Amino acid sequence: MGDSQYSFSLTTFSPSGKLVQIEHALTAVGSGQTSLGIKAANGVVIATEKKLPSILVDETSVQKIQTLTPNIGVVYSGMGPDFRVLVRKSRKQAQQYYRLYKETIPVTQLVRETAAVMQEFTQSGGVRPFGVSLLIAGYDDNGPQLYQVDPSGSYFSWKASAMGKNVSNAKTFLEKRYTEDMELDDAIHTAILTLKEGYEGQISANNIEIGIIRSDREFKVLSPSEIKDFLEEVE
Amino acid sequence: MAGAMDLPAKGGFSFDLCRRNAMLAEKGLKMPGFRKTGTTIVGLVFQDGVVLGADTRATEGPIVADKNCEKIHFMAPNIYCCGAGTAADTEAVTDMVSSQLQLHRYATGRESRVVTALTLLKSHLFSYQGHVSAALVLGGVDVTGPHLHTVYPHGSTDTLPFATMGSGSLAAMSVFESKYKEGLTREEGIQLVSDAICAGIFNDLGSGSNVDVCVITKGKTEYLRNHQLPNPRTYVSSKGYSFTKGQTEVLSTKITQLKPKVEVTESDAMEE
Repeated sequence: MGDSQYSFSLTTFSPSGKLVQIEHALTAVGSGQTSLGIKAANGVVIATEKKLPSILVDETSVQKIQTLTPNIGVVYSGMGPDFRVLVRKSRKQAQQYYRLYKETIPVTQLVRETAAVMQEFTQSGGVRPFGVSLLIAGYDDNGPQLYQVDPSGSYFSWKASAMGKNVSNAKTFLEKRYTEDMELDDAIHTAILTLKEGYEGQISANNIEIGIIRSDREFKVLSPSEIKDFLEEVE
Repeated sequence: MAGAMDLPAKGGFSFDLCRRNAMLAEKGLKMPGFRKTGTTIVGLVFQDGVVLGADTRATEGPIVADKNCEKIHFMAPNIYCCGAGTAADTEAVTDMVSSQLQLHRYATGRESRVVTALTLLKSHLFSYQGHVSAALVLGGVDVTGPHLHTVYPHGSTDTLPFATMGSGSLAAMSVFESKYKEGLTREEGIQLVSDAICAGIFNDLGSGSNVDVCVITKGKTEYLRNHQLPNPRTYVSSKGYSFTKGQTEVLSTKITQLKPKVEVTESDAMEE
């Protein structure tokens, strides 16, 4: 990086001790589409709105929830292209971990490594922080886990969390509805209801995305017909 | 991590360590030998897919290093690869390509194709100019159908209906050449592969022990580890062996007292 003209960091401290670029990145996240995650007793569910800019966009080509490893999935709020880059890097890191240790990467390790990448971009020359917050859902030997990673690179484990436009209402709703011994199917219903709360317009199987992981440790993105079944149960 | 952006790899083989090795050899250090697999590996295409087979002996010169090693490596759920040559090279190269295929599957959302694995392998082997001593039989079934290829250490490949590699390849090929026909059934395919591997096991010193078979068809893969065990250990003493005093003849005795060399003093425990 030293041979570039921009070998100085663009993210610098303000006199009040804040990193303004990261604050702005969080604003970018806050204006992104709502996404949320809930950790149940026997699995994790993550969900997001999938509002497309026009009815002409082919919604089957858009997939906001991605698989990082067979047992770890991720959703975001914020800038889609930044998310794509992080997904690519995380997948590669998971493979490198497997190549080195012949063990499938534990959820905490992948979260840590992804967070380290995000932090790197707040302290390197010529780059800007990522404009996404991630919700990483996984199931490994430590059970079901849900982590949120912010543009600064800080991460927290959550029982339930939300990000994006409707974050405060969604979190309040989740606080009321969350119970420790929730089953995954209840969690999916709660996730749908939470999304419904802040949704402008009519929620349907084609304008939300849901990803789940059960005790079988296989992360899967639900198909529109599966989402439709859950929606009908909720109505 | 080497900085924020991934710089493109400079490419080519790094010969830095070769100078060090030459210098050490000059000083009289003997290079450690590498474990070659000797080996008989085979593959054939049958009516529903491909069958791969391998023996399980790994040799280090004249010594059998591993009596039951696994030579059929996983590349993708629908693609497996048998490896002959240097065991470390075949393991490393198949692991590496398997990892790359997984990343590719995530990026494309599709099942991996055999030609993809083939191209990744041959490009890697070619760039190492034959120094990576891996001779492979690659087989699998994808959307375009069943495929079987051989890959040579220098990076050339062949596409064949039946193939054999390794030191036992001639013995195995003789079996294939006399009995192979198109449109074999699953049972016939497995039997023919087992016969070919057995020919290698019994007629080649570099191959031995058991027969591993892998059957790949559309949507299903069966890895039949130790499908045949034609070389069981027939005699193991149940009494065990005992070595009592007096069984071995003592030629001379020399006793060195250690006590005077060791000084034991009473002192305080180590301070924190």
